[in-house]
Amino acid sequence: MDKQLVAALVRAAGLEKALAEYPDDVMAAAEQSLNNAGAVNVPTNPAAEPWPPMRAGVGL
Amino acid sequence: MTQAHSTEAHWLTAVEASKAFAAKTISPVELMTALLKRIEVLDPKLNAFIRLDADAAMAAARTAEAEIRAGRIRGPLHGVPVGIKDIIDVAGLPTTGHSKILLDNIAASDAVVVRKLRQAGAIMIGKLSTHEFAIGGPSFDLPFPPARNPWNPDHHPGGSSSGSGAGVCGGLFPVALGTDTGGSVRNPASACGIVGLKPTYGLVSRRGVFPLSFTLDHVGPLTRTVADNAIMLDAIAGHDPEDPGSVPTQSRHFGRLLDRGVRGMRIGFIRHFHEVDMPAHPEVTAHLEDVARVLEAEGAEIHTVTLPSLNEFSGINRVILCSEAWSIHAPWLRSRPGDYGQLARRRLLPGAFMMAGDYVGAQRRRLELIAAVEDALRDYDVLLCASSMDPASRLDDAETTARTYPRQARTPFNVTGHPALAMMAGLASTGLPVSVQFVGRYFDDATVLRVAAAYERAAGWVKRRPPIG
Repeated sequence: MDKQLVAALVRAAGLEKALAEYPDDVMAAAEQSLNNAGAVNVPTNPAAEPWPPMRAGVGL
Repeated sequence: MTQAHSTEAHWLTAVEASKAFAAKTISPVELMTALLKRIEVLDPKLNAFIRLDADAAMAAARTAEAEIRAGRIRGPLHGVPVGIKDIIDVAGLPTTGHSKILLDNIAASDAVVVRKLRQAGAIMIGKLSTHEFAIGGPSFDLPFPPARNPWNPDHHPGGSSSGSGAGVCGGLFPVALGTDTGGSVRNPASACGIVGLKPTYGLVSRRGVFPLSFTLDHVGPLTRTVADNAIMLDAIAGHDPEDPGSVPTQSRHFGRLLDRGVRGMRIGFIRHFHEVDMPAHPEVTAHLEDVARVLEAEGAEIHTVTLPSLNEFSGINRVILCSEAWSIHAPWLRSRPGDYGQLARRRLLPGAFMMAGDYVGAQRRRLELIAAVEDALRDYDVLLCASSMDPASRLDDAETTARTYPRQARTPFNVTGHPALAMMAGLASTGLPVSVQFVGRYFDDATVLRVAAAYERAAGWVKRRPPIG
């Protein structure tokens, strides 16, 4: 994974201390998050809304 | 393994204990005394407890005994000891989340579920081991050791509600509370061969429970029998206007269908989860087919049903969980990364790299997956599927644990919020439990319990006890 990209994302997330002390954990996390995002088939219908429905007072 | 000896106090179920209290064949103080002795002997091997609250529990047992003798019986949990996972607040005790981060975090008040259990007369016996913050474990770099499996203490008892599973299974207490964000009530139930229910999302309040992922978190009971699970759910269910996920519902008396059997019921068997999407250990597959045969023999119709792939449910669960957990843990991950164990740190940090669009995209697809499960439940009363794809791994085998831990079919029902129950479906050749999962319609937790009770009666696994004394 591009270390410069990760370093930029780490700065944006305020994780400089974690990167300095646990670089392997931070790199593994960045890699995993990319894999996670690829696992979702985002709906192609623009009208498909997120869960939960935004209806006051109603849960499921 | 041994058969059940229900005359031994530590193997009494909550229902049996309640009847014995009423019949005066044992008292709450005598039961508590027996359990505390057993805990003293066995907990050093099982590590179910983070903090045993023996003095308060005994005092509560004396109070319960006096009330019951005076005829003021509050219900079937009166005088019954309950273990509480250590991310759930019990007033005056630390809620550590099994983490160095929260070692001094004394709860100012009871979580709603604990308050409800006290109102039902139950006795809080102590705080139980968990994976760190219900996500990082099993780990040996935390302030407390990981819990162990009573069927074989070299093996993992499942998690993250590890102490709840180990303690109920090992006869340290009859019932416990756990939490379930990606399967954490049902995993220890599966690994330990007991009964674990993730109720319908919104049925049980989460207020006073340290969150992991707001839209996936559930609180649920772990018990040795289905009947005990139903009475626990009776006690803890109910609308909480201060929990944003809580739903007003008339669902009550969750054990009312337990004796009805399954004759005429239509059960959808999601075979592709364990046959195609994530091929299970052959012994797990064989036992799942046995479950279907048993239910068919009891009069149910079994049909194969297809849902979206297990891998997609799991991916969506991870994206949502990581994103929501990051919003909770970001301040500590920035300032105190070394105070987390390595597993929790590695499992929480990915949320820092998720994009807002990833999260919203997962929540949009989630609604479609909910619709798919709802469609299936229009045709079937209950769904049947795998829980864990493998028996529990050895605790000292981190590689196998890392490989097998995500091999499960529980996360789909955190994503959808449907009620889901895991229970013992047999023993593998290694002597470790294998499991099955039943899933029902929203707020129809009673029907899930009905099917589980029918299977429990017909299969007889409930009579088995771990070989731990």
